[in-house]
Amino acid sequence: MIELKNASKSYKQGSREVHALRNVSLTIRKGEFLSIMGPSGSGKSTLLNLVGGLDQPSQGEIFMDGKPLHGISDDELTLIRRRRVGFIFQFFNLLPILTAVENVSLPLLLEGTPFNQIQPRAVELLNQMGLGNRVEHRPEQLSGGEMQRVAIARALVTNPAVLLADEPTGNLDSHTSEEIFMLLKTLHDKGQTIVMVTHDPRAAAYGSRIITLKDGSLSEDIAIGGQAA
Amino acid sequence: MSVKYAMLGILAQKDLHGYELKSSFDEKVGEFWSLNYGQIYTTLDRLEKEDLVTYDRQAQDKRPDRKIYSITRKGRKELDEWLATPVNRVRALRDEFFVKLVFMDKDDPAPVLELIEKQKALYLKQMNRLTLQKVALKKQPKKPDTLTTELLMDAGLFHAEADIKWLTLCESKIKAAMKSK
Repeated sequence: MIELKNASKSYKQGSREVHALRNVSLTIRKGEFLSIMGPSGSGKSTLLNLVGGLDQPSQGEIFMDGKPLHGISDDELTLIRRRRVGFIFQFFNLLPILTAVENVSLPLLLEGTPFNQIQPRAVELLNQMGLGNRVEHRPEQLSGGEMQRVAIARALVTNPAVLLADEPTGNLDSHTSEEIFMLLKTLHDKGQTIVMVTHDPRAAAYGSRIITLKDGSLSEDIAIGGQAA
Repeated sequence: MSVKYAMLGILAQKDLHGYELKSSFDEKVGEFWSLNYGQIYTTLDRLEKEDLVTYDRQAQDKRPDRKIYSITRKGRKELDEWLATPVNRVRALRDEFFVKLVFMDKDDPAPVLELIEKQKALYLKQMNRLTLQKVALKKQPKKPDTLTTELLMDAGLFHAEADIKWLTLCESKIKAAMKSK
């Protein structure tokens, strides 16, 4: 469903040319839970940005469901990103002045959908995340794990084709992290495509496939089958 | 010596004959520890001589009597003491990989760097398999031993993670040493 063909990304840092990604070819299949591993500076965030339509390759091609994400206007890319991609981040990125249900509704509010039409779905998603009793809470009233679950609900509200996660448990303790991963695995079991970048092997190990980046190139590709052994 | 205590632990829950004891041992710790019947019976003999277990004979049709083992009061006391005592010995640093590292060519670290990369990929694959097994376990209805199994799987994952982190550090230190030459 997402295909990169010889994608490279380089940018100028002063007079120096930085090659963040070199000639990466990669097919992410529908329903896959892909973990992208690598140390900082290996290009994994750049790769996630390309897959999520936050950035475009300097060279090469990238397709989502056959449609190009390269060589299109910023506006077109923004639309695809808003409708097809859900993001979760290490620091949750919730708006502090909004309640949980308002935070979850935000992506659709930005699309111009009225709140009363979004609310039932937002509440249902919060229920699925085990937050039925936290709907009207603000982020400061929630624990880290709860905030990340609100963020997952927000990422899902648009029914995205792919859920992108950037170190989603980097800021959580081991036990809470595991609860977040069990949720992601449940979504994966229901067919959700997930792409996660992490430097943490225990997090990466939840993937149905793990790739490792090194100096901007693909160095390892481990797949032990999508289903649990 | 923990085989002894594992067997006392099993007998503390239920009286069993040797064959059942082996099955129960396999079920509880078999993932990490394999024992043959010989070891089971030798250990039982020893425990019996130390008065930690005792047995009753049970007659069988056309076959020799079998022994049903049970834990004695002394055995239970010793088990309780063992359970309450923290383990004093840190995991032994006895790993085949360490030996390879000792014998690496100090003038040409390229092969060992390659080995480190392969070793890391292998550990990651094992972590992947173990994690997916754990996920599957957590989705099943809980049984009495589910939590212990899960905790031991966690231990395996944390140890493998430590190995990967250590190998990454090796990589970086070996490369730095190459550069400073």
